Amino acid sequence: MKDTSNRSKAYKVFSMIVLIILALLFLFPLYWIVTGAFKTGQDIYATTPAWLPSQWTMDNFAKLFDRRSAPLFEIGALVGPTVPGAIRWLVNTVFMAVAAMLLTCITAAMAGYALAKKRFIGRAILFSLIVCAMALPKQVILIPLLKEMSALNLYDTLWAVIFPTVGWPFGVFLMKQFSEGIPGEILEAARVDGASEWRTFSTIVLPMVKPGIGALAIFTFINSWNDYFMQLVMLASNSKYTISLGIATMQAETSVDTGLLMAGATLAAVPIIVVFLVFQKYFTQGITMGAVKG
Amino acid sequence: MKKMKRFLAIALTLAMVLSLAACGGSKKEETTTSGSEQTQETTEASGTSISLWTYPIGGWGDENAVKELTDAFEAETGIKVTVEYLAYADGDDKVNAAITAGKAPDLIMEGPERLVANWGAKGYMVDLADLLDDTDKAEISPAALSACVTGEGAVYEYPLVMTAHCMAINKNAFEEAGALQYVDLDSHTWTTEDFFNAVAALYAYYGDTVAAVFCAGQGGDQGTRALVNNLYGGTFTNEDHTAYTWDDAANIKALEQLQNTDGITFDASLQGGDEIVKFYQGILKMGFCWNIAQQLDPNAAGTGAEKTITGDDIVFMSFPSETGESKLCGGIWGFGIFDNGDSARIDAAKQFIKFMCDSEHTADAVRTAKYFAVRDTAEGADLSGIWADEPIMAEYNKLMPYLGDYYQVTTGWAQARTSWWNMLQDIGEGADVAETVSTYMAEANAAAAG
Amino acid sequence: MAKQPKSAMSRALVRRETISGYLFLLPSLIFFVGFVIIPMVICIVNSLTDANMNTQGLGNFVGLKNFIDLWKDDTFLEALKNTFVIVIVSVPTVCAFSLWVSSAIYKLNGKLLSAFRCIFYLPVVTGSVAVTVVWKWMYDNYTGVFNYVLKSTGLIEKNINWLGDSKYALWCIILILFTTSVGQPIVLYVSALGNVDQSLVEAAQVDGATNFQVFWKVKWPQMMPTTLYILVITTINSFQCFALIQLLTSGGSGTNTVMYYIYYTAFKLTEKAGHFGYANAMGVILAIFIGLLSALQFKLAKEK
Repeated sequence: MKDTSNRSKAYKVFSMIVLIILALLFLFPLYWIVTGAFKTGQDIYATTPAWLPSQWTMDNFAKLFDRRSAPLFEIGALVGPTVPGAIRWLVNTVFMAVAAMLLTCITAAMAGYALAKKRFIGRAILFSLIVCAMALPKQVILIPLLKEMSALNLYDTLWAVIFPTVGWPFGVFLMKQFSEGIPGEILEAARVDGASEWRTFSTIVLPMVKPGIGALAIFTFINSWNDYFMQLVMLASNSKYTISLGIATMQAETSVDTGLLMAGATLAAVPIIVVFLVFQKYFTQGITMGAVKG
Repeated sequence: MKKMKRFLAIALTLAMVLSLAACGGSKKEETTTSGSEQTQETTEASGTSISLWTYPIGGWGDENAVKELTDAFEAETGIKVTVEYLAYADGDDKVNAAITAGKAPDLIMEGPERLVANWGAKGYMVDLADLLDDTDKAEISPAALSACVTGEGAVYEYPLVMTAHCMAINKNAFEEAGALQYVDLDSHTWTTEDFFNAVAALYAYYGDTVAAVFCAGQGGDQGTRALVNNLYGGTFTNEDHTAYTWDDAANIKALEQLQNTDGITFDASLQGGDEIVKFYQGILKMGFCWNIAQQLDPNAAGTGAEKTITGDDIVFMSFPSETGESKLCGGIWGFGIFDNGDSARIDAAKQFIKFMCDSEHTADAVRTAKYFAVRDTAEGADLSGIWADEPIMAEYNKLMPYLGDYYQVTTGWAQARTSWWNMLQDIGEGADVAETVSTYMAEANAAAAG
Repeated sequence: MAKQPKSAMSRALVRRETISGYLFLLPSLIFFVGFVIIPMVICIVNSLTDANMNTQGLGNFVGLKNFIDLWKDDTFLEALKNTFVIVIVSVPTVCAFSLWVSSAIYKLNGKLLSAFRCIFYLPVVTGSVAVTVVWKWMYDNYTGVFNYVLKSTGLIEKNINWLGDSKYALWCIILILFTTSVGQPIVLYVSALGNVDQSLVEAAQVDGATNFQVFWKVKWPQMMPTTLYILVITTINSFQCFALIQLLTSGGSGTNTVMYYIYYTAFKLTEKAGHFGYANAMGVILAIFIGLLSALQFKLAKEK
């Protein structure tokens, strides 16, 4: 007995050490991005890596902000002041992620409830369709989608990126799993009381699936912030770029400037990491619930 | 939960503000499109807005420099030009996606292999023959002009600048390794023997890769083609540009020798642009993807002409050949117009080309590109003295006589480029040269045939 | 007699349920049908034609020619193979790794636990493009940290060209994919392990079961639903890896995948550029494989 407890203690220490090493390895890319953003050309191009910037510099950010310019926003005839392109990319990214998040949450909450609680004709088929489409990479429908967007006059607008994200049925699937947990008796009672369908949904269903909506919101936000493929195909002009697309374009240019890329990557990663850290608790809660219900 | 509520509330208001912004944005688009329809009806050019997509051709990839030119154009004609900057790594994809969506730009700046042999041949471009009168035809260098004209006589590119692509060496590294004896710094030429001796000396001194035959993609592949072709006098295509001939014994000998030389790596993680960086960092001692724009501003990093980041001197060199006289690949860049079916915008785009390529403003356009003008005079303005105050340009002129055949307009060119870098990757991994070459060249010739 | 009104009522009920069900589904269906189903249908129709960039309408019907050509296209077959290697390697390793990490951390105190959870989740939120550019730098043949560390510790003698050598490139990409995939499974397993019925565990321990036995016989079956969910999302994730290929190798060095090859065929300036029928045929094949895979996974999920 003592022997096994010693062994399990040794194993615990060993696994803790491995864990800490792994954690450091997982942190390293992020560390490398952020420090790289403040390194001088000499440090970055040194054959012996500089673990810390030998001299902290803002040059990379200066270059990033000096690169392209675009109006901060365009509302009708009202055009915002000219700002560095990277700032506009951030604005675009925030707009895109928030719009995708809101539309997804609204549509998915309604659809998820219907799929879970309504016994309508064609439900089984629709659900299998959703399940199959969930894993579908967007590259598959790339060309028809591009033609469709151009026909709808949405090519080179952020909507061309937002709408397919909303159409992706993962949200519906997730919300269906959450809505399954709503007891049928409550809904029945509401119906007996003469509540309208919409009232039942808004006053009974919505509050009960709120954690699910929260999870889906954060999930969609991060996903669309980090998506890249749709943007690559659908967005053509610099003032419509998102931050991911902006960095990818910088990496594609003839003269590769690693410091500049790291500055861009910092600008892309830090805001979303802050969002994640602030809402971390809801996030972990949300994704766990999604799975347990699933 | 309270926090969650607050978060949702903030998100909602933020979203509302932003969607307002976006709705406004789309409304604005409607007004501009209706605006352009109006101009179409009245066929009044002023007030028109046209778009230009440009690849990074010297300073034409730099927003501030280009803005000066487009501002000058707008001041004179009232036509607004919106510019988008493409990269070689994914610029083609962007243009093709835009063509698919029916939203191709009005103007595009690149070379004949794209404008003439590809988009032009596929029927997306406007014939610019009416922009070229007899004076223009006499003024423009015949080599440059012929590359911009198809077999049927359609002109899909109006050329602005040209250069010869070359290679470069790190002079300090050569000096330290005792390899400077193999290069002629005055004529900027060397023989094949000199080249391999220099590689051996550098490798003996540094014990590591000194030059990379880069092949991660097609970017900058004119460098690897010129290197291989020149070493023993091979050719890439036949003279009438109908078939690929890079399986001749001279090329195979060159590839085999490169494959077996210590210090030279076939690097499938680098494209031309990456190789420039490694050379600029001082890691590679030779760069095969070089030209005058790089010489003036290495890696476009703004750290001074003719210097690596470590402060070493860069010397541009012709590619080595058995006699020392090599055939350099040319670059010819100019403008093409996509046929968007809107005559007002096509006219405006033509005005733009006239303004940049054939007027008193041509000197500025050429200077921005950091290359040589394709003509000596434009509408009476003398262009021969543009670079008189720039000694590096004058020195570079020594290479211009070596400018070889512009074979990049051979049919099936896009496939040939793809086959070339795929072939280099295989050779780099030790595949049999003769066999690999013939497989990949067959692929390119199949494309050339049909 | 008594039966009839009931069935009439249920018919009315079915109708009412159907109408209200579809009303609730309507907003979602607009997006789902408009931007997933319709393009998918067009994709299938297009895959049977010779449509290209010039084609205005649908193009000429060519039957199964595109599919037959694909079967003879070595590049496509290699891409298909690589796609499956990525999925088959990354899904089980992600599951196993995250299970191990979660079982090692789930009993730690709250702060430490959430710190670990965050760290393993960070690569997910950092974003694919930012992650890709930094890994490209780390893998660099000449100035990357990997070669530096391995060389200075004497593990390798010569620099390894990680992304330029077909022996390594695909594995390098799988490694990046791995770091960006384990975050969510770890979160899920931690909570699943926390929710395991303790009375069963104690009963097993009283019966003299070893830790290992407790894990496999008691905990593992209870975590089955979580595992299946993780399998599904990891599979989805693995099929979405496009940025890694496009930005790191452009499909060279033996790393082509079907997702990249579709894009390449459609938009790269090659002789095949704009062979939309051909590209769509690839999409159809990929969709069929994915459909089968998800159907299989969900069948498994239902049986459990």
